Formats: sequence, C-alpha cells, structure tokens
Amino acid sequence: MNQETIIKINNLTKRFPVGEGEFTALKNINLEFFKGEFSGLVGPSGSGKTTLLNIIGSLDSPTEGEAIVLGKQISKLSHKESALLRNKHIGFIFQVYNLLPVYTVFENVEFALLLQNIPSEKRKKMVNDALEWVGLSSMANKKPDKLSGGEGQRVAIARAMVKNPEIIIADEPSANLDAANAHAILKTMKQMNKELGTTFIFSTHDEKVMGYLDRIIHLRDGMVEEDEIINVNHAP
Amino acid sequence: MIRFLLKGILRDKSRSILPIAVVAIGVALTVVLSAYMKGAFGDMIDQNARFETGHVKIMSRSYAENKDQLPNDLALLGVEALKNTLDTEYPQMEWESRIKFGGLIDVPDEEGISKGQGPAAGIAINLLDENSKEAQRMNIETSLVQGKMPKKSGEAIIGHDFYEKLDLKIGDVFTFFGTTMEGSMTFKNYQVCGTIRFGAGAMDRGILIIDIKDAQEMLDMEDGTGEIVGFSKLNVYDDQETQIMAAEFNARFMDDQDEFSPIMMPLRAQNNLGEMLDYSNFMSGIFIFIFVFAMSIVLWNTGLLGGLRRYQEFGIRLALGESKGHIYRALIFEAILIGLIGSIVGTCIGLAGAYYLQIVGIDASEYLENSSMLMPSVLRAKVLPYMFFIGFIPGLIATVIGTMLSGIGIYKRETARLFKELEV
Ligand SMILES: Nc1ncnc2c1ncn2[C@@H]1O[C@H](COP(=O)(O)OP(=O)(O)OP(=O)(O)O)[C@@H](O)[C@H]1O
Ligand SMILES: [Mg+2]
Repeated sequence: MNQETIIKINNLTKRFPVGEGEFTALKNINLEFFKGEFSGLVGPSGSGKTTLLNIIGSLDSPTEGEAIVLGKQISKLSHKESALLRNKHIGFIFQVYNLLPVYTVFENVEFALLLQNIPSEKRKKMVNDALEWVGLSSMANKKPDKLSGGEGQRVAIARAMVKNPEIIIADEPSANLDAANAHAILKTMKQMNKELGTTFIFSTHDEKVMGYLDRIIHLRDGMVEEDEIINVNHAP
Repeated sequence: MIRFLLKGILRDKSRSILPIAVVAIGVALTVVLSAYMKGAFGDMIDQNARFETGHVKIMSRSYAENKDQLPNDLALLGVEALKNTLDTEYPQMEWESRIKFGGLIDVPDEEGISKGQGPAAGIAINLLDENSKEAQRMNIETSLVQGKMPKKSGEAIIGHDFYEKLDLKIGDVFTFFGTTMEGSMTFKNYQVCGTIRFGAGAMDRGILIIDIKDAQEMLDMEDGTGEIVGFSKLNVYDDQETQIMAAEFNARFMDDQDEFSPIMMPLRAQNNLGEMLDYSNFMSGIFIFIFVFAMSIVLWNTGLLGGLRRYQEFGIRLALGESKGHIYRALIFEAILIGLIGSIVGTCIGLAGAYYLQIVGIDASEYLENSSMLMPSVLRAKVLPYMFFIGFIPGLIATVIGTMLSGIGIYKRETARLFKELEV
C-alpha cells in the first residue's frame, strides 16, 4: 500500500502566554497524516485538539518543533502564504457552522473561489456541484438564517469542499446537531473521502463521529496518549 | 470580488446606512457652515467696504486719528489735485469723496415755528454725477422706502423712521443746522425727496443723505473732504494688493511733520476689519480641521464597533484563505465607497441648505438693533464653487482614516485569536 504523507508534525510544542507565565497546550507532539485518511483527534476538553487543528490549518503556528503541511513548514509561512495555503488546499468546518449572514448559501460557498479569481462560469458550476453533493441545490438563494442546523452544517461542508482541497479540518462538526443530522453529514463526508480522496481530520467527543473514523488519535493534556488505527483500508 | 463586497455593504444596513448617514450629516454641516461663514463674513466685509471703509480710504493723518468724532476741521484739502493724482497713479481704482457730518434737523410749520427737531447723522456722497457709482454702492435706490433719488442740489434723503418721527412729507422742506470746517455755525434748507431704510441698525439712526457738493458748500469745504474712498473697479477686495498700495502711497505722500498730509488705510487697517478677516480665514480653516478630526473619531468608533461586530466575519474569511491585507484593503474600499456616497449625499444636502440660506438668509436684525458695528441685518450664506468639493475632502478622508485606524486591529490580532472569536 502506497501511503503518501500529507502532514508531518515533529516535536511540536505550543505554549500560550497566560498572565505572567505560560500555558503549554501541546507537548512534544509527533504525528504523521497520510493522504486520504479519515482521522480524528479525541480527548477531553482542553486537551489541545483545537490548538493542534489550528496549527495544521495554518491559523496558528508552533512554539517549538515543526508542522509540515503539504510540504510547507507552517512556522515559516508569511501571512500571505498561509492564507494562500488555506485558500487552495485546506477546508474548514467548525462546530458552529459560521456562514456569512448577509450572503446567500450560494455566495457563501462561492467566496473561496472568488479569492482564487476563478471565472464566473466555472465558479457557478463548481458551487452548484458542491451544493448538489450536500443535497442543498434548492437552497442556493436562501440566507443562512433561514436554514436548519443540519442544513447550515451541510453548507459549511459544501464551502469547504468546493475548492476541492487536499485536507478538510472539521472541529467538532456534529456538536450542535441531532443524531440524524450528524449521521447524514458524516455519511456525506465519508463519501467525499472515498470518491474524491480528500483527507479529513476531525476533533470530536462524539461517539457517532468516532464510529466513522478509521484512525483515532487520543489527546490528553496536550500529549498524544494513543494513536489507534481502526481501518487500514483508508487509502484510496 | 468587488460585487461581492458591494452586496455585503448593501445588504448590511449597519455597514452602509449608518456610516453613510454619519458622513452625510457631517459633510452637509461643513458645507452649510462654511458657506454661511463665508457669506456672513463676506457680506460683513463688503458692507463695511461699501458704506464705511472703501477698499482703501484716504484721510488726513489727524482726521484718521480722531475719525470717530467726525473731525471735519481736520479734513483733507486740495482734493481735486489729489484725486487727479490718484486717478493717474491708481487707474484700477475708483475714487470718491465722502463727508460725514453731524447736526440738527429742524422742521418748521406753516408759520415758520419749529414743529419738530432731531439730531442727524449726515453723509454726503457723490449723488448727482451720472458717472458716480456711489448711490448704487450704498444701495440707496433699492433701500428707498418712499419718494425718489435726489435729482438736483438741495434735495435730501432722510431715514424713514426719522422722517416719520419728524412728521415730514415728501417735498417738505427742513433746515439742517451744523458746523462748518472752521467751526462756525451754518444752516441750509433741504427738500425731502425720499426716505430710506438700510436695515442695519447702525446706519439707520437719524440718517441724512445729501450730495457731496451741497455739503462742501454748506460746510465751507470747497476742495475739501473728510475722506476719499477707493474701490477696485472690479469690485473685488484684494487684501494683499490694498496693503501694498497703502504702504506705497503713504511712503510717497504721507509727511510725518504735517498732520494734514494724507494717509491711506486699507480696509484691513480700519474698524478692526483686519482681525475680522483673519478671524474668518482662521475660522474656516479651523472648522474644516475640527470637522475632519471629529468625524475621524466618530467614524473610527463606528468603524471599531462595526469591526468588533465583524470579527466573526473576518475570522471566517481568514479561515477561507483571505489574507489580512486583503481584508484590510476590502475594508478601505468599503470606506472609500461609503465616504464617497456619504460625501455626495451630504454635499447635495449641504448645498441645498446653503443655497436656501443664500436666498433667504437669517435675519439677525433683532440682535443688531443696538449694535454700532456695521453689519447687514440679514446674514446670508454664499455658495462658492469650492464648496462643491470641500465636504468630500473631510468626508472621504475622515471615513478612510477612521477605517484605517479601526482596521489596524485586524493586524494587531493574531490570526488564531481573530479566528477564536468563532468558537464563541
Ligand atoms: N489563545 C490562547 N491563549 C491561552 N490559552 C489558550 C489559547 N488557546 C487555547 N488555550 C488553552 O489551551 C488548552 C487547549 O485548548 P484547545 O482549545 O486546544 O482544547 P480542546 O481540546 O479543543 O478543547 P474543547 O474540547 O473544549 O474544544 C486549553 O486549556 C485552553 O484554555
Ligand atoms: Mg476545541
């Protein structure tokens, strides 16, 4: 089996200044993620899941050690370069689905493509495809406040996948959803993972989510406690 | 992308209507107030020039020192020659003699017994010479309440209130008693041909207007005058030029040894008008500065509040891969757009208001009734071409500066912190 490394984390430590001192949120993390994985960070609140996802997503950078994402060392990226990395290669899905309220579903999904200067015809097609993927074609012209929680989260998935990124980071995507909706979005994401080969990294407390993962990384107090491979057949 | 931003502005009222309204109000105020200040000060200066100071005025040195007492005993002599010199030396100016004099008006009844008396503030100007613009300059014809302009020697215009108080009728004859240049008593009969009201408190009290020749004869001032006023033929007061002219004239004609030698004073040097001129320029400058400053603070705060409200939006946009610089530039773009729209709206409102105040004016006569300052009683705005864009500069600059200041917050914050706002 040919496993292509997509993310590599070496001796990563992250400290936050807290008052006079510092708080160590991640301690000496060593991890490797492969292309096409459907993996998740699991651990109690405060264990550092979001912190690690933010670093992988180049929204934050390590205090020590290195995080190499798609061959790029995060700590060495300029503002602009990290924005470009996020724009082209990384999709985000958050706990609260965080759509821009003044824009329609279509426009929310379109935004990342606008940043890439993709011509309007092509953009339109890509957005419609993405909305079709998540089953929301009929909602394209609705404003976010008219959507249910599940629909909102599906728009967020469409927004993350529309640019066909290598990596999608999903920080507790099911936390605000009921069981039916949680299963629905996970199925969609799993399908994307299978058909498009997108690498997913979750953070979650949710048993339902864990059931879909083929790798679970247990974090505790900023350290990797256990790295559990559940299904080795994740490669495309 | 621009369309995307425009949609955002249009749909989010707190991002458009509110700041546009703030800018528009500020810009409108600037335009109205600067037009009004310009107009009121300009009118005031102009009124003073026309009635009182000329663009320049020539008096004898000692007359100038005591001019509040109307000291005709210190009058200029040799006026014909002096005016000839002035006409050749300063062909860009028009020169006119004026004499101010005080005295008593007495109205006799049929038997010749006095039926009414009152103190008169006389002014003699060149009324009968067809080439003279003095009557027009002092708005005499348009200020007439009854009767008509003097057509011949011996006719006089009298203040309308004064006329009523003295119970006169047009065509009636009254006697003026005064003092000649040499200090002896003089009197002369005049026929009332018209009554006048300038609408300026200081001007209207006991006013008596006669022709300069009558006055010269009556006051034994042939070839003499209290003052010679000079007006630019273009009728534009040039502060700089008149000062140079006065300095040059005084260097040539003024004699430190001779208290009766002529002295030329520019408008600026008379009646504290210099201070008024400086004040008006200073005020307009300060006003625009304060406006830019205050608006910047207001808009900075609106921007800050809007920005705080939008941190979530910025967080999402960052996560979607927009760079901080791009967000910042987008904000500036929005600010320019809002500043522009606000400035256009504000300028339109402001100009409309200013035009209204130019036509209608604000009647200040109530406050000026007892004022000794020479001021028009209706203060009008004056719309000048530069007011079409004066509001844009502060309106646009303030908006952009406000946004720039508040937008710095985006840079100051760590990407992760901006982004953290998402988790709430
Ligand atoms: N910017 C920051 N400054 C200071 N401390 C921080 C900062 N960000 C995170 N922390 C701390 O680091 C620790 C790990 O936070 P993190 O958000 O990664 O936890 P988590 O595993 O995602 O928790 P949860 O399950 O509640 O989302 C927490 O104790 C948190 O308080
Ligand atoms: Mg978290």
